[in-house]
Amino acid sequence: MKNKFGVLFVALMLTFVLSACGKGSEEVEDLLKENKTEETKDGLKVAISVDPDGLDPHRTTASSTFVITNNIYDTLVKVTEDGEIVPSLASSYEQSEDGKTLTFHLRDDVKFHDGTKFTAKDVAYSFERIRDDLGPRKDNYQYITEVNVIDDYTIDFKAEAPSASFISDFAYPWAAIVKDGSGDDLKKSPVGTGPYRLVNWTPQDNIVLEGVEHYNKGAIKNVEFKIMPDSTAQVTSFKKGDIDLIETTGDVVETLGDAKIIEIDNNSVQLMAMNLENEHLKDEKLRQAINMAVDKEELINAVWWGYGKEIGSHYPPVLKGYVDTTNTYPYDVDKAKQLVKELGREGITLNMKLPTDYPNYVAAGQIIAEKLEAIGIHVKIETIEWGTWLTDVYGNRDYDLTVVGHTGRIDGYDLLEKYGSTRSDNYFNYKNAEVDNLLSSIKVELDDDTRMDMYKRVQTILAEEVPAVYIQAPTRIYAINEDLEGFTSYPIDVFELKDLKFKE
Amino acid sequence: MKEIIRRIVSSIVLIIVVSFITFFMLMMIPGDAVEISLGTEATPERVRELRAALGMDAPWYTQYLSWLTHAITGDFGVSFTYGETVTSLLTSRLPVTLSLMVMAIIIAVLALTIGVFAALKQNKTFDIIARTLMQIGDAMPQFWIALIFLVYISAQFDVFPISGFTPFTESVYGGFMSLLLPALVLAFGMIATLIRIVRSSMLHSLKQDYMLMTRVSGMNPVVAIIKYPLRDALIAPLTVIGIQIAGLISGVIVVESIFSLPGVGRLLFSAVLKRDLFLILGLVSFIVTSVIIITLITDILYILLNKRMRREES
Amino acid sequence: MRKYVFILSVILLLIPLSLGIVSFFYTPYPITEMDIDNRFSGISKAHLLGTDQFGRDLLSRLMVASRYALLLGTVSVTLGLCAGAFIGVISALSNKWISMIFLRFIDGMLAFPGIVLAMMFVVVFGDGLYSTLIAIAIFMIPIFARLTYSLIKEQQHALYIVAAKSMGLSTPRIVWRHYLPVILPRLVTQFSASIGSAILIESALSYLGLGVVPPNASFGLMLKEAQSFMLSYPYLILPSGILLVITVLGLNLMGDTLNDRLMKLGDTHD
Repeated sequence: MKNKFGVLFVALMLTFVLSACGKGSEEVEDLLKENKTEETKDGLKVAISVDPDGLDPHRTTASSTFVITNNIYDTLVKVTEDGEIVPSLASSYEQSEDGKTLTFHLRDDVKFHDGTKFTAKDVAYSFERIRDDLGPRKDNYQYITEVNVIDDYTIDFKAEAPSASFISDFAYPWAAIVKDGSGDDLKKSPVGTGPYRLVNWTPQDNIVLEGVEHYNKGAIKNVEFKIMPDSTAQVTSFKKGDIDLIETTGDVVETLGDAKIIEIDNNSVQLMAMNLENEHLKDEKLRQAINMAVDKEELINAVWWGYGKEIGSHYPPVLKGYVDTTNTYPYDVDKAKQLVKELGREGITLNMKLPTDYPNYVAAGQIIAEKLEAIGIHVKIETIEWGTWLTDVYGNRDYDLTVVGHTGRIDGYDLLEKYGSTRSDNYFNYKNAEVDNLLSSIKVELDDDTRMDMYKRVQTILAEEVPAVYIQAPTRIYAINEDLEGFTSYPIDVFELKDLKFKE
Repeated sequence: MKEIIRRIVSSIVLIIVVSFITFFMLMMIPGDAVEISLGTEATPERVRELRAALGMDAPWYTQYLSWLTHAITGDFGVSFTYGETVTSLLTSRLPVTLSLMVMAIIIAVLALTIGVFAALKQNKTFDIIARTLMQIGDAMPQFWIALIFLVYISAQFDVFPISGFTPFTESVYGGFMSLLLPALVLAFGMIATLIRIVRSSMLHSLKQDYMLMTRVSGMNPVVAIIKYPLRDALIAPLTVIGIQIAGLISGVIVVESIFSLPGVGRLLFSAVLKRDLFLILGLVSFIVTSVIIITLITDILYILLNKRMRREES
Repeated sequence: MRKYVFILSVILLLIPLSLGIVSFFYTPYPITEMDIDNRFSGISKAHLLGTDQFGRDLLSRLMVASRYALLLGTVSVTLGLCAGAFIGVISALSNKWISMIFLRFIDGMLAFPGIVLAMMFVVVFGDGLYSTLIAIAIFMIPIFARLTYSLIKEQQHALYIVAAKSMGLSTPRIVWRHYLPVILPRLVTQFSASIGSAILIESALSYLGLGVVPPNASFGLMLKEAQSFMLSYPYLILPSGILLVITVLGLNLMGDTLNDRLMKLGDTHD
């Protein structure tokens, strides 16, 4: 009997202590909450799902880096939301008659975050870095033969041949200008001229930026990027009001009620690539049949909830020089089935390697596999981790089918160049003499209209020969705090924090 | 004593062997940091050149030896992704994971008390309820519990933040609240096993002859229980604590991802995804070392306690 | 009381078991058949448990998932048990140095973060099923090795062993004839409980994208797929979640009752 009371007593004590803790904490929380609501007004909180790959714009190709660095650094020129190129750090620029020289006149009132003045020397240093052995984009800037500093505020770039996309190469976030001699500490301590400077980066936790004073008045001063890998956590935080800006998906939009949703057409391209070295896939007719077997509209609905623009070639509709090729081989299962039968390729087996890290591509791959099954092609799905994908599929071209996306560019040439037959990133193994010729003439053609015609021709050829089933150019969906104004995203996956404001 | 020294020496050898195996495996698997950092945006040629420029094309054994010689002097290299030293990354992330684990263990130990009650009241209502709850909790995947907590508790009550960690140095209360739910999820995984062990150990000792003796000799039953079965019961979990802590690390990765806690588990996970070689090596070596030290301590403790108890009993 | 728990565990286990067995001969729909117009259909006559994000029949997928869960669990734990028991026996009965090496080896395996190991297997062997199987087995090895080691150490000075030794029996023979019958029941108890944790490990691996791969079906994979629609279609998480809990609960209860029974036998023995 006695021990029973003992037990009861201890249990009672425990409950009492626990409940006392609970009560006290609520009171404290009430106090905290009052302070909190006032604080959030001048600070913006943005959720991102992964850490940037270092904050050095010259040493990575990860868009997770550029989302941040785009606000820390400036480029000589920049692109507007409509894809126009306008001056930024350069107050003006001109291209010589022969198209080989580009001269920038720089602004003389710009300072780096550490107070030093911005001059042409910094530009020269930055491009030296972009073009050295450690620069991942070295190849894209290889055609520049000379960089001449004329005076403190004038700089010349000379190319080996006239180039039409010359100027757009200076607008990408990876052409950012860093401080002369700032060296290899940039990955963690960036020094730029941009509207925001880095206050603190705690890996896997947050990145805190602070507005630079003389820049854009009225911009939000404190910005925190919260790194939240789980999308459910992101959306839940947004609903609760802890986060002001998230990128989200179509199914979630419906659950957000009357939150402010912003849709922006992106110029990246998502596709199912085919390996033309495969004994079956080298047959153009089979590839056409495969294209006809896939109902792209249904696919976009099923995987992306309809948020995306159907495409017929490796070219997003928002980009200049687009031609609609979506009807080249329209969806027609019966015809596709018939074609496979005629070709005697019924019952063949193809492997499909899908990158696990991108659930949407895995989903799309599964749906396509089902569709191909219906026309008599067996698909063996293999999901592999991204690192393996890069080695096996992209590097060694050891695959039959794969679903993947390609990041957007300002100029169509940068998208299409990978179809050149000698390119090492032509993982389709696509070879076409006409495309090769067109690509080399596009590069040097200065007349806009002629160039656009060439772009259209390449698109048409790709749509007809189907080195890949082109699926869609995605639409990015952002959910933002309803008091937030001025949000625009640029076609190349970045957005400007300085344009954002809270409603008064 | 000799035994202990021998164990320490062999443990050091073990840690080096583990680091070697890790390194070797990382060299063998496809994909490396450069490839992943460049993605589909650069040509494969560029990847090769960049690798050469970073000295990553050297034979793997020279790379390993150079890492090892540096590591012995305490220099674990610089993370490719973060451009920061592995040591500073680790030391800044460690408090989060450590407090998370300590809290989970505290919760589990509190729950042990329940296990003790359950044993005393075998087959009574309390025992049945406690066992049912713990059984169901034990049968649920951790990420499921975590998500349910997140959506149905964090989202509804402002007391619990959905994401992130408030350092204890900033606010003890905030830190506690930011870790409470994640720690609870982790504890769920341990509680059931611990209670099971404690319970069976208690039942075992309660049936021993010496318990009858205490009753015959008129000893206060509560004192008797505390003196014998309870002590047995609390020593029993020591044997599995090593396994438990090692198991915790997998759970930590999941829980840290869902609650967006900037801890060591997530750091390790993303390091493997990005093939951040030095970071992986540093973290794996660190984790292995700490688990080995903990097992060592618990083993020694167990031996000592056992010896003392035997002496007392006889 | 114990009897009822045992009966309960059997009933619980019969659910996934029968679903899994039937799935060899019959599923209402092929598990990869998609019907995108009918996705997230909810419970209906055509789809007793509704459909998933591709309009695949959840019941069919669950049946196959039960099969995978039980097979994956049993096979991986068996592998872990055999390898672990072997290592445990050797480290318990060898001379000091070999024993030391094996014990450290167990420590090393125990300390090595399992997730890293699992990731490496997935990366190296690609296809999810086999690498998941091996990864889970490796999780299990040190647990069984440690258990076997301590069980043998416990018995080492028991009268019957000393007697057997003095009769000059060879070590393998002593292990086979004398140790094994004594330690086997304990190993079997651990075995049953371990299948439950194997299924849970698989689901954690699936959450991190390292488990069974689509378009196959496993509890973990289905939960993970459902989890991404947790906010828009929260009920999707229920069928696979509940069946998983039922399966693991059944296995754990079975383990517990076996354990209790064993203890009782042990006690009367004393």
